[in-house]
Amino acid sequence: MTSFIIRRFLYMIPTLVIISIVSFGIIQLMPGNFTTAFKLNPRFSKETIANLEARYGLDKPWFVRYWKWVTGIITRGDFGYSLETQQPAFDALFKGRLSWTLMMSFGTLIFTWVLAIPIGIYSAIHQYSIADYTLTFFGFLGLSIPNFFLALVIIWFLVSVVNVGALGLGVGGLFDIQYINAPWSWDKFLNFLWHLWPILVVVGTAGKAGLIRYMRGQLLDTLGQQYVLTARAKGLPERVVIYKHAVRNAINPLITMLGMSLPGLFEGAFFTAIILGVPSVERAFWNALQRQDEYVIMSGLMFFAFLLMVGNLLGDLMLAWVDPRIRYD
Amino acid sequence: MRKFFLLAGAAALIVFGALAQEYKVVPLGEGDWANLTVGKYGGYLVVGTWNNPKTFNHHIAQETSSTDVTGQLHAGLTEVNPITDKVEPALAKSWEISEDGLEITFHLRQGLKWSDGEPFTADDVVFTFNGVIFNEDVRTDYRDVLMVEGQLPTCEKVDDYTVKFTLAAPFRPFLRQIGGAIYPAHKLKDLSRVYNPDADPEALNSVWGVDTPPEEIVGMGPFKLVEFIPDQLVVLERNPYYWKVDPEGNQLPYLDGIKFVIVGGADAEMLKFRNGELDVYAPRPEDLATLIAEAEQKGFEVRIDETKPLFGTTWIAFNQDCPNEKLREYFRKVEFRRAMAYLVDKQTIIDNVYLGLGVPQWSPISMLSPFYAPDVVAKYEYDPDAAAQLLDQIGLVDQDGDGWRDYPDGTTFEFELNTNVGNTIREQICQIFADDCAQVGIKVNFNPINFNALVTKLLGSEYEAVLLGLTGSSEPNGGANVYRSCGGLHFWRYSECDEPRPFQQRIDELYDLGVKTYDFDEAYQYYAEFQKLFSENVDLIYTVNMVYRYALYKNLQNTADFSPLAGALGFSDVLWKENPNMVGNRVVGG
Repeated sequence: MTSFIIRRFLYMIPTLVIISIVSFGIIQLMPGNFTTAFKLNPRFSKETIANLEARYGLDKPWFVRYWKWVTGIITRGDFGYSLETQQPAFDALFKGRLSWTLMMSFGTLIFTWVLAIPIGIYSAIHQYSIADYTLTFFGFLGLSIPNFFLALVIIWFLVSVVNVGALGLGVGGLFDIQYINAPWSWDKFLNFLWHLWPILVVVGTAGKAGLIRYMRGQLLDTLGQQYVLTARAKGLPERVVIYKHAVRNAINPLITMLGMSLPGLFEGAFFTAIILGVPSVERAFWNALQRQDEYVIMSGLMFFAFLLMVGNLLGDLMLAWVDPRIRYD
Repeated sequence: MRKFFLLAGAAALIVFGALAQEYKVVPLGEGDWANLTVGKYGGYLVVGTWNNPKTFNHHIAQETSSTDVTGQLHAGLTEVNPITDKVEPALAKSWEISEDGLEITFHLRQGLKWSDGEPFTADDVVFTFNGVIFNEDVRTDYRDVLMVEGQLPTCEKVDDYTVKFTLAAPFRPFLRQIGGAIYPAHKLKDLSRVYNPDADPEALNSVWGVDTPPEEIVGMGPFKLVEFIPDQLVVLERNPYYWKVDPEGNQLPYLDGIKFVIVGGADAEMLKFRNGELDVYAPRPEDLATLIAEAEQKGFEVRIDETKPLFGTTWIAFNQDCPNEKLREYFRKVEFRRAMAYLVDKQTIIDNVYLGLGVPQWSPISMLSPFYAPDVVAKYEYDPDAAAQLLDQIGLVDQDGDGWRDYPDGTTFEFELNTNVGNTIREQICQIFADDCAQVGIKVNFNPINFNALVTKLLGSEYEAVLLGLTGSSEPNGGANVYRSCGGLHFWRYSECDEPRPFQQRIDELYDLGVKTYDFDEAYQYYAEFQKLFSENVDLIYTVNMVYRYALYKNLQNTADFSPLAGALGFSDVLWKENPNMVGNRVVGG
């Protein structure tokens, strides 16, 4: 197993190199560069902008800049800096955001799985019943409503219909304004929960439908297997047949999915984060994309690529752990 | 008895101290300030902003999410009165301009202190100009606007409270442009390569970044930075050493501070305002119906002033250097451009795009500028018949009966119109214009493209026609980079730098004359002639300007003179709250 893990990590190196070259190349396809936004400012002369381009090396060909960036990483562990905020690239992405993003994502992940798995199981066992149809219908409804729209609808509903302002409650963000920079207290925590639920609902609803369908489909497949029939023929109680035999086998592919959702945890829910005004790594990344803040974009892409690969690996390992038939050596 | 003497001594010290500090008195209740009143202390102004500040370094800051914050932290030698838009003394209490207009001497207020308590002197001013603004290392847009005939002014210290600038030529906008933030020499001098050859050239660009401990950021503005929480909040608090007082001698500002809440965008900001979490909001046209309906119930008011269009213009430009030679020939004909101007249906644009909240713009100078001359500007009101006639005259007629006008050689006359994709207002105006063009047989291929791609096309002179906007200000010389034949943004005819048309030569002259006199009336005549010439030749076809809209909770006081010149942030040092514990319409506690 150890040699498998080491091998997988070694494979990551060439993959990351290729990804970095391709991404750097693709970024260059975007029209303009970091200074383009200055160019329509009547207060800047052409000469000043040309000076800037020269200073930031933006007038050099892309492979020269790429090489400079890569040598910085290898020799100094320096992933470059943000041209816009002058911070190290990883600070520009993560500082003040990472913990919130992770917390919201884990919250959503738990919320989604805790609801979706039992619903999926219930739907499969009661296939084609009214309850199955109803749950499936709501699952699909959640899947088909765009996240950003649902987020807006929820805060619009809270303001226009419920008028939560009259109750002294805020909408959007992580806290009411007076709590944002206050030290933690019971009130602040309650206020946080009040702001958390729309995020969980909005982000969770979309992911839930897919999971419900997967769980339902997998379990239905398994329930048709001969060993389930055998188990029933043996006279095992239905509960044991379902949970010990069918679900235990049906859940394996979902374990792989769980591992692969790792990069998603860091990205958070982008549109929802913007509409609801909550800190998110993805939002910082998007901002860098808009400003063509090259090194921040690259650092973000490399980080997400790395996470995806680690996520895949984790998925594989977890699968091996739950399914004794799987061997990597 | 000893105690009494001590107290008396302390009182005398305080009086003496107050006398030694040459505060600026804001005459609330009198003259220009007649609508405003003396207030009481306390409370935070809470406003929404769409994005994180990118830096707290005012001279580097580019977009409003940064400058809204940094503008509160700093002050300049001069400032612009938020009500009258006139230049007034700020950190300088007075100034003299020499006979020839080349030497300007500023006398600084004495006894002022930086927000960290250090004394403010001429050294700070000299450092700011020689070490920061005039320093080529610094990525600031304050430098190029101070260039006079290609040269920067020189700045020297006369004594501790006197600074002298020497210009290459008289420069009327100087007093306005010199009002950029003064930086503290005691904090930053070592970072400037002018004073410290070993400094990193990027040091002054990266200093005061978003990671800086707030107490390091020192200014002369009404507020100082206390806290920045990314994606959530920026907190400013009153600068205890601020140098303005009200007529009763109370030190300003009245507010304890300002909170900038980082919201996701206009939709979220509007909902937060309606929910009573923000004190002010600048509504979009589509928000007004909702806001007006619930204003009474929720305790805010909505102000719309149709006499006050915003700064900034939206226009259509035809590339007179465009790569397609046949098009270029027509784009260079003034008759063609006039015909196009006749086809801009401003009333429909106002009604359909701005929901009635717009006014037509005709002049290259913002309508709020004192130099705006509405009477001399040529106006080509919507008139498709006149347009058709002009097009017939220059030989663009439909020869093959397909409904589109053709070149004299029989091929269809058509051009591509670009704007930046995603700007719905601009896209709608383009649609209306393209439809009106189609009515008279002009084929317009409307193609919205990515903003950066558009800028590249524009500055590379590779486009055919474009609809875009530029920011404006009350100072017409702010447009020098656009309207002068060699300006970097003279994108409709860059070739003019080498061979200007006669009227363009005159415009260049007028721009020279307009800055060389310190006499307003004389300058007004020059800019009036510029507006007449430019509008007659329609190099840019202006469309519509949105009018001023503002919504605010009534708890906020001294708001009577809010305008496009200055909103809550422009009046931040005199704003006060009836109930200091209230944000929006609700009490949030101490």
